[in-house]
Amino acid sequence: MSLKVGILSFAHMHAYSYARSLKARPDAQLVGIWDADAERGNQVATQFGTSFYAGTPALLQAVDAVIICSENLYHAPLAIEAARAGKHILCEKPLATTVADAQAMIAAARESGVQLMTAFPVRFAPAVQRARAAVVEGRLGRILAIKGTNRGSNPGGWFIQKELSGGGAVMDHTVHVVDLMRWFLGAEVATVYAEAGTRFGTPNCDDAGTLAMRFDSGVFATLDPSWSRPAAYPTWGDVTMEIVGTNGTLTLDAFAQSLTVYNNDAMKAQYLPWGSDMDTGLVDAFVTALTTGQPVPITGEDGLAAMAVALAAYRSSEEQRVIPLAEVAL
Amino acid sequence: MRVALLGAGTMGSTHAAGWAEVQGAQVAWVFDRRPDAAERAAAVCGARVAASLDQVLSDPSVDVIDICLPTPLHKRHVLLAAAAGKHVVCEKPIALSVADAEEMIAACQQAGVRLFVAQVLRFFPEYAAAHDAVLAGQVGEPGVIRTSRGGQFPMATDDWYADFTQSGGLVVDMLIHDFDWLRWSFGEVERVYALSTAGRELNRLQYDLVTLRFASGAIGHVEGTWAHQGFTTALEVAGTKGVLEHKSTLSTPLVVHQRASIASGGGVAVPESPLSESPYTAELRHFADCLRTGAPFKVTPQDATEALRIALAAVESARTGQPVYLKGGR
Repeated sequence: MSLKVGILSFAHMHAYSYARSLKARPDAQLVGIWDADAERGNQVATQFGTSFYAGTPALLQAVDAVIICSENLYHAPLAIEAARAGKHILCEKPLATTVADAQAMIAAARESGVQLMTAFPVRFAPAVQRARAAVVEGRLGRILAIKGTNRGSNPGGWFIQKELSGGGAVMDHTVHVVDLMRWFLGAEVATVYAEAGTRFGTPNCDDAGTLAMRFDSGVFATLDPSWSRPAAYPTWGDVTMEIVGTNGTLTLDAFAQSLTVYNNDAMKAQYLPWGSDMDTGLVDAFVTALTTGQPVPITGEDGLAAMAVALAAYRSSEEQRVIPLAEVAL
Repeated sequence: MRVALLGAGTMGSTHAAGWAEVQGAQVAWVFDRRPDAAERAAAVCGARVAASLDQVLSDPSVDVIDICLPTPLHKRHVLLAAAAGKHVVCEKPIALSVADAEEMIAACQQAGVRLFVAQVLRFFPEYAAAHDAVLAGQVGEPGVIRTSRGGQFPMATDDWYADFTQSGGLVVDMLIHDFDWLRWSFGEVERVYALSTAGRELNRLQYDLVTLRFASGAIGHVEGTWAHQGFTTALEVAGTKGVLEHKSTLSTPLVVHQRASIASGGGVAVPESPLSESPYTAELRHFADCLRTGAPFKVTPQDATEALRIALAAVESARTGQPVYLKGGR
């Protein structure tokens, strides 16, 4: 069978690579695009050789599944609408901006018997999968601690409007690596202490921070989600993990596969990535799960758990105390 | 300037080699309770081996006592040196408690002798250059500062590092370097939150991740490890205008590869970062210069005490699981 997929909004730039990945699948079909911004919607529909839908109900009628790449605030209403229409959902991260919204999305999918997957593409980087295997197979012994970074550049636009994004760097860049930590450890974050703030000039929005977490398994971890890469930096950012076990250590730099280019027009060094495309891995996993009737590999609950850590980090930073995750994720 | 060196372990022999390079300084005595170690260090700097501490302290020709003894012995020997009217060089950490450090400083003041605590990191050219670049505004206003330090568990006489009541453990013994450098470069620290393997039954592994919030609002993250292979350091300062990075693994102008055999190709690669003057020599030369000219030391005993205060706050935070506020905090 061919899976009919629609993309709801291109507000998040990942929609472009998801669309490309879909087009590359013989067993999936990009049936149409809806976007609140009709001009952008029409343009990308032309770009990807598909139809623009001015309203969501018509597009939902035409598809089996949707990919949601709207501003974070609209993830919940769009996902709930899609679920009620009986459509499977791949939702960009963070899953939502509040625990209540995320729970409502999960409940709507369950009630309609559709699958809800959270887009954590980094799980599909081959080096990340090899790192997890080393941990899960016990090659590092018992895991003691993880130091993570997901530093980036200020993405601008709606990302720095908290009323649309739910938060700045901490919301944007906590969830990827927290998801990896949960996935590697098979454990949940128990407490969060965080320092967050505006240190890189983003108006009315956090752009710097560090999280310190304790997992229920006893492992501790830190994560730097700052938008701390300047325009002069050779790349947008990074995903790194230093994992310390009783029998060894592991160093992961997920985007280390790149050429270094020195170009007079750019007047700065630039990393040109050549590693495997993780967004394709993500879309492949979604499509394969749906076409074979298997459960999606990353659930709405996974998305909720990672987002709750970001919310706990904000509360910790505001109240300057350690936040038990149970306070946030009820 | 005549110097008596107390302690001929790792640091003592390093200082012996350093003093040998300092013009106008002569090591008169080396004292160690292990005569063979004292002999070796004395040979390096052309000194005589003292039979007793009294012999050193009662020699009126000795101007300076250089204390390279295990940390719990610092206070007693600084007080003895001050009472004998000798200027003092004392290895870091200055002491294991702030009260002890303050007593040592007061004793030297009352005796009219100068006390120099060997916070040697300020004399490492990469850290000095980073400090200067930050103060020159190369990265703009600092936002997030990350440091890393460590390698294998340190081995020393009587295995005294393994007894954390003696060494203070990784945070007090080693991360005090970074705390001093950070405070020197970014000002006072307001609060500290630390995660540590300390207190767990681990055989010669320690790993600590310390979060700092500076009074300026900048965020610090300090990694310390005795769980890795091979000693490395790293530093990153991200600011409003740019990023400054140091990685010891990349700062190796020389790598010597020795083949085990032509056929197998196996063997070892030894990276080196040679300097025309060792940082340890530089700090002793600085001490000697300041003593001669009366100029203030680049790092005061009060600085060393404040670095200790941060380290002790990190130890307390790791133990209690709560953030610890320093002066000015809540």
